[in-house]
Amino acid sequence: MIGPDFFLDRFGVFLSALFIFIGLMSFIYALVTIKQKGHRLEYYLMFLLIVGSGVGVALSYNLLLIFIFWEISTFAIWRTVGFYRKEKDIYAANITFFINFAAAAVMLIGLVILYLDNGTFNFFEIKIYNDLASVLILIGILAKSVTIPLHVWLVPAYKSVPSAIGGCLAGIAENIGVILFLRLFTMGNYFAPEFFNVIAWLAIATSIIAGGAALLSNDLRELLAFSTISQVGFILLGFAVGGKYGMMGGVLYILAHALAKSGLFYGVGLIEDVTGKSDLNAIRGMLKVSPVLGVSMALLAGSIVGFFPMIGFFAKLGVVVGAVEKSGYFGIGAIIAAVFTIVYVVRFYNKLFFGESTGKIKGISYTGLTVVFVFALVSLLLGIFIYLPVNYLTGNGGF
Amino acid sequence: MSINILGFEIEIYYLVILLPLIGGLFGYLVNRLRTEFNFLGFVLTLFFAIKLFIISRGEVISQITATIFGFESKIYIDSLAGFILLFNAIFAFLVWVYSLKAMSRKPRERAYYLYMALILTAANGVVLSGNLIFLLIFWNVLVFSLYGILLVGKKDSSFAARKAVTIIGVSDFAMMLGIVILLVKTGTASFPFDPKILPNNPWLMFSYILIFIGAIAKAGAMPLHTWIPESAKVVPASTMAFIPASLDKLLGIYLLIRVSYFIFDISGSMPLRILLMTIGAITIIAAVMMAMVQKEAMRLLSFHAVSQVGYMVLGIGTGIPIAIAGGLFHMINHAIYKSCLFLSAGSVEHRTKTTQLDDLGGLGTKMPVTMFSFIVAAFAISGVPPFNGFYSKWMVYQGVVELSRETNLWPIFLIAAMFGSVLTLASFLKMIHSLFLGQRPKALNKVREARFEMVVPSLILALACIVFGVFAKAIPLKHFIIPALPFKIGEIGFWTPGLATILIIAGVIIGLIIFLLGTATKPRRSKVFVGGELLEEESARMTGPNFYSSVNTLGMLKKTYDFGEGGAFDFYNYLLGITRGLAVVFRDVINSLIVAAYKYIGRLTTGLSRLTSALHTGELYNYVGWIFLGGIILMLCLVL
Repeated sequence: MIGPDFFLDRFGVFLSALFIFIGLMSFIYALVTIKQKGHRLEYYLMFLLIVGSGVGVALSYNLLLIFIFWEISTFAIWRTVGFYRKEKDIYAANITFFINFAAAAVMLIGLVILYLDNGTFNFFEIKIYNDLASVLILIGILAKSVTIPLHVWLVPAYKSVPSAIGGCLAGIAENIGVILFLRLFTMGNYFAPEFFNVIAWLAIATSIIAGGAALLSNDLRELLAFSTISQVGFILLGFAVGGKYGMMGGVLYILAHALAKSGLFYGVGLIEDVTGKSDLNAIRGMLKVSPVLGVSMALLAGSIVGFFPMIGFFAKLGVVVGAVEKSGYFGIGAIIAAVFTIVYVVRFYNKLFFGESTGKIKGISYTGLTVVFVFALVSLLLGIFIYLPVNYLTGNGGF
Repeated sequence: MSINILGFEIEIYYLVILLPLIGGLFGYLVNRLRTEFNFLGFVLTLFFAIKLFIISRGEVISQITATIFGFESKIYIDSLAGFILLFNAIFAFLVWVYSLKAMSRKPRERAYYLYMALILTAANGVVLSGNLIFLLIFWNVLVFSLYGILLVGKKDSSFAARKAVTIIGVSDFAMMLGIVILLVKTGTASFPFDPKILPNNPWLMFSYILIFIGAIAKAGAMPLHTWIPESAKVVPASTMAFIPASLDKLLGIYLLIRVSYFIFDISGSMPLRILLMTIGAITIIAAVMMAMVQKEAMRLLSFHAVSQVGYMVLGIGTGIPIAIAGGLFHMINHAIYKSCLFLSAGSVEHRTKTTQLDDLGGLGTKMPVTMFSFIVAAFAISGVPPFNGFYSKWMVYQGVVELSRETNLWPIFLIAAMFGSVLTLASFLKMIHSLFLGQRPKALNKVREARFEMVVPSLILALACIVFGVFAKAIPLKHFIIPALPFKIGEIGFWTPGLATILIIAGVIIGLIIFLLGTATKPRRSKVFVGGELLEEESARMTGPNFYSSVNTLGMLKKTYDFGEGGAFDFYNYLLGITRGLAVVFRDVINSLIVAAYKYIGRLTTGLSRLTSALHTGELYNYVGWIFLGGIILMLCLVL
């Protein structure tokens, strides 16, 4: 039942490479920012578990194995969210763990039903889908990919997590839910249009609602958390509408969002470290303090919004084409969500980087700055040379 | 057609995209040689643009260069594209020459030139794209570079930049949806569309309207114009002349014509045409009313930059070939005279360090060349014959009158257009007076004519206003406008600019003679005393803005003006208001409800576990009691 059930397809390899790249960058960032004496080693263990479980989910075809990686990831997130051991951190860690664990337990029931129906955990061989099982598995997926109404853990988690692991959370851990969705449902043999339509609407609603919440938040990390919820909604929308463009758009969206959100998280982490504040209204004029950070974060924010030289443009375009192919109304919903995105991202960036800076601020870590810059540069280059990822994914054995 | 550079064969249409970018990037990196690199970039682009324009007159270049995932990247240059390309390069070059002195030693000068080059690259890319998806890509580059160039301000311009990028970004997403719907419903997004798509299905009509939104947001028609007056106050005049006055108009109207008559064919759809004409008419009147009462030169000009778009949209919306040609002609005329106005006003600002009309005056003798360019351009924009603005407006009027065969609404549009023209002239008389005529404040006595590099571009543009007006049929219409459009244009009225010009010149000469005869006896000059004190000329000065200060205090109008200045007609405020309002609902209702639900689940679980833990008291008697109770229940079950 469980063996070395791994396989290498272009999609899995692509995502593994992405996860390992983000892991590497997070590692470099962590070297200069994680300075706790006591349990520093625990941090690196948990960090590696998150990266490893992400790669494991991307490359495995055995549902039970995926579930095990899934739980490892949940466990590691639990430990890292509570890393600083303050009361609010422990609360956040607990809420994260409870929601993810409860949803995963429900998902396990669904997986077992699929096993009983098909006699195998190999998702290539699963032909008989039970509607009940699909819904149960979906609950686990929604919790992991922070879709409304199972999104509540992300805001406290982002507020507590060390900034070095925040990028991994946004770039790796939240994607494993949508990966399972893609493997099991979109690429699988499940034919239930209502199921996919409901998920598409749920994804759009998530995207719009979280975009609205991000527009109102004044806490940097809360804003990033709602932004993540909103963007993962786009990924889920792409996979729910399916089709050539929807799937390609979703995968590119994973790439774009992972790079951009990790970069933004690290940038915000740097800003928090040097100013000691995390209130959007209290920080001004960061562009004068660090132009490199300003330009890098402008590019990353542009990638989140979906402006051209960045990879985010093609991701959004792919999702919108996929959505309109299914129904024009999905396209309208996606564009409304995108409008919310541009409004809150421009607000976030302008408030942070312009205006009179308050007091002298010095000592931005150069290593951290380099990490943010590399994320921005990679997003930019992939956007210009878009045919590299697209050709890889559409190559032999790809989409 | 390709060209051999160092052994590589390069198609020249790549060069007009790449050259400004290369020039700009190298100029940015090697600051010492910036001017040389930029010069090479802009001049070579101009050279190849002229070449492409000449080629495009004869044949249509249509070439698929690559295909990525079902999207083909295509170059498509017909005579319309060639014409726009040529003027992109011309305006970029002129504004660049002007900037050499105007921007020298200003903060963030380096970034300014980089963004200029990027904008020209993107603008050329838009025009050359033969596929709407690729057009959208270059359109997006424009947003990014617009944000950058607006941040290079005289003072803190981050708010204007934020407003601009939000409005343009939102309209870009609308356009993206429109293009995607078009692509999915018709299966193609590449030029040429043959046959043209008729917007008769609701989705296709929706798609047209979305792309239309993208086009007018770029051109700056109401209600998507509000970032233009906002940025006028804070960015240099050259930026205003480069983007809102010339390149944005060229690109916006280019896309509008493309989408209205090359992709879709709206001439059969009356509701869409009425929509366009209404937007055009409202834009003309509302923006010019706002312009009348402005007290700041750049802001006044920027409202005219909005108002004139109305004529183009109105002309294109009529669906009558002559008015469409008029709209296109007006676009190029507008780009010429409005950038001339911005540049001349910028020269004045450069010398006097102020743009407040109250503080200016009497500069005519100090800056004669600037005054000449400004007055020519001001007459052109007001539609005074024989300048170019008159001719294109005339064509639009003629089209609106021809519309009488199809709809009864035509008098409204005609009156709006003519009334707008009158108000434009009124507000420019005020501006000419406040800048160049009247008494000169003492502080401005040492002002000199602007530098050579700044005077020449505005002078060239002013001369272009005259040439395009007097020889309208022979030069611009024959070479640029008529070949660019897919219609046969009928006879253009009985307006013959050549004869009219002679008559006008004769009239002016006669007027001059009468004026000279009238002033043969000199007026008496004497000193004025008030309360025994000599009245200083300074305090008796009449400034221009007072001309129409009664306009915005008239009962009805006052309210409207107060609303307008307060931002009541600002799309940006509505956008923010709506999104924020929805956001409050989302966060405080939906999100809070969900979070509260989780809290109750948590409490319920805690309550239940309290209950069960209360049963475990640790006292032996209790447990014995439970065992006894359980035994009785078991017994009962067995017995019954």
